[in-house]
Amino acid sequence: MHAKQSPAAPARGAHKYQAVRAYLVGLVERELHVGDAIPSERALCVRFGVSRMTVRQAVDALVGEGVLVREQGRGTFVAPRRMDFEMRLTTFGEEMRRRGMRPETRVLGMGTVPASAEAADALGTEPGAPLHHLRRVRYADGSPMSIEQHWVAVDLVPGLLAAGPPPSMHDALRAVGLDPSWGEETLTAAEATDEEAALLDLRGTRAVLRATRRTFSAQAPAMYSNACYRGDRYSVWVPLSAPAPALVPRLRERDDERVEQREAVGAALEDGRTG
Amino acid sequence: MSTQGAGQAAAILAGLGGVGNIDEIEPCTTRLRSLVKEPSRVDAAALRAAGAFGVMVSGRVVQVVIGPSVDTLASDLEDLM
Repeated sequence: MHAKQSPAAPARGAHKYQAVRAYLVGLVERELHVGDAIPSERALCVRFGVSRMTVRQAVDALVGEGVLVREQGRGTFVAPRRMDFEMRLTTFGEEMRRRGMRPETRVLGMGTVPASAEAADALGTEPGAPLHHLRRVRYADGSPMSIEQHWVAVDLVPGLLAAGPPPSMHDALRAVGLDPSWGEETLTAAEATDEEAALLDLRGTRAVLRATRRTFSAQAPAMYSNACYRGDRYSVWVPLSAPAPALVPRLRERDDERVEQREAVGAALEDGRTG
Repeated sequence: MSTQGAGQAAAILAGLGGVGNIDEIEPCTTRLRSLVKEPSRVDAAALRAAGAFGVMVSGRVVQVVIGPSVDTLASDLEDLM
């Protein structure tokens, strides 16, 4: 007796687990929404003609990958998607709108602070120099996603916070002719502090991704930022390419040739002695 | 190569301890990564004066934060090496 074949079903036997998994992935990608229940174990067993254990293995794999989430006593559901942000000079607001999500902000604090050694170094100013400081929680569709802090030298943009917290730091920089043009960011895995866990409404996992960023405009550092992203909703996509050949001093190449010549002469002499 | 580009390239090579101190240099999106023979001959202040926004030394690996102009800077450097 054959199970009703779905369009994506591959061969039987050891590949049945793959068939169940592929089917579920297809459902999640094309038919179900976040929070929808997947078909029952029994329905999957019947559909693919497999044991409960095979179905559970496929579901376990997808739970492990973060595609599905099991809720005690309620069933298995489509998990909220991780957002993969590639390393581009974009802002939280831009990224959320691109994904069709509604960005919101709650300002935790705003003011002028003396530059720490780290901030001074990042902004190319002196430790203790006055910096504008803004700290806020970012939400997407009502859920907290990240906590951000930004520092901008008061000398660079004196009126940055004059009209209250700017909705967009990048827009505020553009408004004074300091369009962000490039940057560098360092990501670090970490555990949220108690305060961060509360602000981000973290349950279960405390894993977060810390991102330290220097944003440059034209030819000077304009903003230093520190962000803390929920580990369960973020991943980073990094394109890789083979490095181009490094530049080597030509002088070095000539030296290498001379060394090779010496070695060749030495070898010839040795052959002569032993030959 | 522009005179300005040549000037910066020369200043960076000097800051790295001279061509004789360099094993290799590689442009990496926003940085120059180089492998030097003698890290003590690297002059971070000179590199900053040449337009570097940061200098990191780890063993013989020296990273110099320049910005997206590293690719054109690399061809200027190549001419001087």
